[in-house]
Amino acid sequence: MTRARQTFGAWLALAPALAVVGLMVGASLAYGVAQSLGLLAIIGTDQPSLAAYRDLLGGTGPAGREFWPALGFSLWISLASTGLSALGALLVAAVLGSRRRPADGATLLMLNLNLAFPHLVWAVALGLLLAQSGLLARFAAALGLISAPAEFPVLVRDRDGLGIILHYVSKEVPFLVLLALAVLRTQGAEYDLVAENLGADGWQRVRYVTLPLVLPALAAGSALVFAFSFGAYEVPALLGVRYPRTLAVLALEAFANPDLRQRATGMAIGLVIGLVTLAVVGLGRAWQRLGVHHDA
Amino acid sequence: MRDRLISLGTLAGLIAALLAGCGSQPVAPTAPPVAAGAPNLDDWESIVAAARGQTLNWYMWGGSESINRFVDVFYGTPLAERYGITLNRVPVADTVDAVNQVLSEKEAGANPGSVDIIWINGENFLSLKQADMLLPDWSRRLPNARLVDWDNPALAFDFGEPVEGYESPWSSAQFQLIYDSADMGEDELPRSYARLLEWAKANPGRFTYIAPGPGAFQGTRFVKGALFELSGDAAQWVTHDQATWERWSPALWAYLTALKPYLWRGGETYPNNESELHSLFANGEVDFSITQAIAGAGPLIAEGLVPATARAFVFDDFMIGDVNYLAIPRNAPNKAAALVLANLILEPELQAAQILPENGFGLGYAIDVTRVTDPAQLAALEAAQSQLGVAATPAADLANALVGDAAGAYQRLVEEGWREHVLIGTGQ
Repeated sequence: MTRARQTFGAWLALAPALAVVGLMVGASLAYGVAQSLGLLAIIGTDQPSLAAYRDLLGGTGPAGREFWPALGFSLWISLASTGLSALGALLVAAVLGSRRRPADGATLLMLNLNLAFPHLVWAVALGLLLAQSGLLARFAAALGLISAPAEFPVLVRDRDGLGIILHYVSKEVPFLVLLALAVLRTQGAEYDLVAENLGADGWQRVRYVTLPLVLPALAAGSALVFAFSFGAYEVPALLGVRYPRTLAVLALEAFANPDLRQRATGMAIGLVIGLVTLAVVGLGRAWQRLGVHHDA
Repeated sequence: MRDRLISLGTLAGLIAALLAGCGSQPVAPTAPPVAAGAPNLDDWESIVAAARGQTLNWYMWGGSESINRFVDVFYGTPLAERYGITLNRVPVADTVDAVNQVLSEKEAGANPGSVDIIWINGENFLSLKQADMLLPDWSRRLPNARLVDWDNPALAFDFGEPVEGYESPWSSAQFQLIYDSADMGEDELPRSYARLLEWAKANPGRFTYIAPGPGAFQGTRFVKGALFELSGDAAQWVTHDQATWERWSPALWAYLTALKPYLWRGGETYPNNESELHSLFANGEVDFSITQAIAGAGPLIAEGLVPATARAFVFDDFMIGDVNYLAIPRNAPNKAAALVLANLILEPELQAAQILPENGFGLGYAIDVTRVTDPAQLAALEAAQSQLGVAATPAADLANALVGDAAGAYQRLVEEGWREHVLIGTGQ
């Protein structure tokens, strides 16, 4: 009874915040669904239709023809970015966390500094640095490593999305490291010490102490990274090629098309992005739970 | 506790109501009425009087610092000094943003809205005209409209869409290419699309063009020029005819596919916009850039975007020219000030100022200079014409190669077809 009252009280206290969020997200979502069904007040269509979805899934129409390649490309970029970021973060966190002294101020500052850069700025900077007419290419040419800047390898605006993945990995590794370090700094030292006393070597300490400790935080962080990179527009727009494009780029281009009927397609792609994100994150969580059960 | 519960219930109800309101909205497509007290164009003095003290919200593409400066100096100053109007230039990344603003206002029923006047043409004009969100029947009734040649189809049709008094011209532009005279002699320049293909084969990787697509009309225009040359006739494209398109488009895709392997990076990717192409050109990665300015490479040299030895040139034919306009949304809050600006822009002295590269705008006339009779105004126009400089394409070359743009319906066909056949490369 008291317990139930407490739960109720907690929900009640949360209600104002939930109401605001629910209103914002819920209203936008409802509006998005309506537009994806072709209900566009601007040009006065009021017959709901699934044409936009049919075109997408059937691969017809200008955006539809690119839908499946774009879905594959988006998944490739997001999964590769998330996987590499998580792996990189684990390694860095293990090194930083297993040192006698916890990470010093300078290291933390460097990690935090990265958070201050908007993705847009970082992407532009990477472009200026790595393009074939970029800073590195010019240095390499000036030093005689290559005979002309244009011989520099194609690292950004490439067909495989390497530039985009490089961007996300360089941006998300520090973010995930911070999450992992937050756990290690509060709990890590003692467990580590006990394991060392019991004769665990460095690798064993990483495998049996650090990894289980940071995994929940890392998994949650990875879900964020996936959700973000799967839906973000600006990085693939800046560092990608004209084809293949990510779903986000495809969606925005359809939405901004002067032909107002394309808006339904844009909205439908946007909703597909949301659904795929939910599905992948849900699968990840289910898999993680399964893993926990097996370990136990 | 009790009143907290009540407020929760109220909130839930509110949310439900709002969601329901958003989900289903068969709103009739009625345009908001032109607000009461609409300007009376038969009485220009009353418009000038009404405009005094208004703040004019001019939404325009803000991507060029030099154009922004030109607008603030050459229009902001006389608006303030002669008409008591404060110019509030609202820069947008793409004109479609201003269009979306007006469309959202229409959906939200905002009248008066927030946009007074938009620098516009082509597909964006079509969008707003389709949505019935433009002030009708005003542009031919401005005092300075007598200087405009409304019988010229290149001006009376905006990408094939009749202008019909919905917009007033500001300036004109024509597609041109830019080369570096330090690297190449004038006699080495390709002067047709056919020659360009030969040139590209001889110089692989040294040419590229802007990817056609929404927001990159220059790329679409380059491709349309090729279509005109292949079909040998630009005039037939002024009206949309699907059979003509189906007859000639395979040749267009064949031409561009043949060109593709000799492009910069083998046609794997293309610059997205003019400034990306300029920087490829300035970096020496490609040998040609493009411009739409009557002053040719002049404004770009002044901005330091291309080398000082850059020069503009045109092919012998099929160089598409067009006019850009000002349009006033139906729900504009300061219509009188907007009309004053549209009229001011057609003043011959200001038209002369806009073609000069050092003023930072560098686009061509909207008025027909032969209609100007005032000697002082004529002198200003002649002086400007003689100051265009060596970086400009010779006026005779421009005039010889000038053709109008294709009907608006071809825009989408070209853009989508290009993606499908050339970029993604299903070939034929």
